[in-house]
Amino acid sequence: MKKKILVIDDDLNIRDYLVSLFNDNGYDACLAGDVKEGLKVAKKNKPDLITLDIEMPGEWGPRLYRQLSQDPQLKNIPVIVISGLSGHQYAVVKAVASLSKPFDRDELLKIVKETLT
Amino acid sequence: MIKQILLINGDKDLADALKTYIERQQYDVTCATTFEEVMHKLEKNIWDIILADPFINDEMVSCLEAVKKNCPHVQIIILAQKDRLDTAMDIFESSVIHYLETPVNSKALDLALITASKNISRKKKLDRYSERLAELHGTQDLLNQLFEEVPCYISVQDKNLRITASNKRFRRHFGGQIGGVCFEIYKHRTSQCHECPVVATFQDGKSHSTEEIVTSKFGKQYNVLTLTAPIKNEKGEISQVMEMSTDITQIRQLQDHLVSLGLMLGSVSHGVKGMLTALDGGIYQLETGLVQKDDDRVLMASGQIKQMADRIKKMVLEILYYAKSRELQYEEMNAGTLAENVVNIVKPMAKKQAVELDISIPKTLGKIEVDPNWMEAALVNLLENAVDACVSERDKKDHYVKFHVRKNSKNQISFTITDNGIGMDTETKEKMFTLFFTSKGSQGTGLGLFIANRVIKHHGGTVEVESKQGKGSQFCICLPLHKPDNAKIVEFPRSDR
Repeated sequence: MKKKILVIDDDLNIRDYLVSLFNDNGYDACLAGDVKEGLKVAKKNKPDLITLDIEMPGEWGPRLYRQLSQDPQLKNIPVIVISGLSGHQYAVVKAVASLSKPFDRDELLKIVKETLT
Repeated sequence: MIKQILLINGDKDLADALKTYIERQQYDVTCATTFEEVMHKLEKNIWDIILADPFINDEMVSCLEAVKKNCPHVQIIILAQKDRLDTAMDIFESSVIHYLETPVNSKALDLALITASKNISRKKKLDRYSERLAELHGTQDLLNQLFEEVPCYISVQDKNLRITASNKRFRRHFGGQIGGVCFEIYKHRTSQCHECPVVATFQDGKSHSTEEIVTSKFGKQYNVLTLTAPIKNEKGEISQVMEMSTDITQIRQLQDHLVSLGLMLGSVSHGVKGMLTALDGGIYQLETGLVQKDDDRVLMASGQIKQMADRIKKMVLEILYYAKSRELQYEEMNAGTLAENVVNIVKPMAKKQAVELDISIPKTLGKIEVDPNWMEAALVNLLENAVDACVSERDKKDHYVKFHVRKNSKNQISFTITDNGIGMDTETKEKMFTLFFTSKGSQGTGLGLFIANRVIKHHGGTVEVESKQGKGSQFCICLPLHKPDNAKIVEFPRSDR
């Protein structure tokens, strides 16, 4: 069965890019445009991994991370931060990895593969 | 120093006897018994005292008169026989110090020599004093010139911060009011500044420095670096304090440009990263679409790439707005539309802060020629500022911002923004359009009103401000209907708003 990845980013183009990239590489990607929607989709789909943008309109990414970690069913989902914000590596300390935009797609796929194996 | 005496007498024996007598009293005496000898001795030496019989020769009188005229320091004592003494007195009057009768009374001679010696030392002292006084005058002139001409603003203040002296540059820019109060003259304030370096120096006797924004008598603002120094009286008490301010406006302007460049870079770098990622995504979709022969994906990818190209183009233009001078892009538009656009931007903010907006935009305003982006930003800044002023005011229960637009008698569009917020003191009112001056602490950048004012000025418009602390403020912006001929280039960073 394909592993599920949830992509959370407010930029539609980046979301589409990540979804295509993951689907093309044998994963099943779903998407969300903000923290609220992200939490909803995470609860519904129970993804195996989440990629998270930090700066989004309304609530910002690390808040979703805190909400995830408080939910017993979601707290073990690994999170990869993908952000253009400087200092993003400090925003979610327990993230599997923190990648700067624009990211290297091979590096991202490698981290995803290692995390999900 | 041993005094040199020239003894002139035709009677050689008398002269020798006198020489012997006088030399016992520590004088150096030279005798001359003929006129030729006298001339020779006068040319050869400088004498302190001349003890002379003026009647040894017909020319002796005029010779002595010439000596008195040319060497006023020489003390002359006349030595003459009793029957000629009166004649001598008639001739020389008070120009000689003493008249002695021959044969000479030794006591009278002693006294005459003592008087002469005293006169000589007094004269020497006087000469020394005169020399020193001249030096002192020279030094005083130099110091005065330094004080007057030093390229800084210098004022001397007493304990009540009243100016007791000021230099030329200070008087030129701030007026020559001796007795005026520092904060009134420098900052047009009615009360003492919060942290006054002069007061601090009066308290601890040390030099203090601050950076200030001061306003000249012509209303121009200067960034100055102020240093103080105590001035002590003869008892060692600090009686006055000198304040020296250096104009650093140009340095600050340069720094401000660099800071705004930094702010601008920070705000755009995040956007650039996102766009590059999305562009990378578009390229990925295009490549994989071509490989998979998926026409839909190729089409979507090309749309995405095109969209990204547009976004990058827009951002580059915005960077240019920020960083470089550019010509204003004038467009003819409905003045009502401009005003409504501005209101629509500010409305959510006012609603969130519970500030009532009272809007009046007549439909009959007609067209106006403006750069819509810049003018909108400027008016939004002023309106948001009015809302902020209301938020800062906590005493009143209800707050409002009025935005009334009309065509005035000069055929200009007038935008009046009135609020019942915190209001401004004189200092804030004078400085509010200064780059990086803010009354909002860390919440403000000091960019907004600076930019707004410049935009309006570049459009040939005017801004008039009335404000009362605790009551509120009113900004009246008047814009001509058509673009001015001269002001086309905008040379400042663009506001974020």
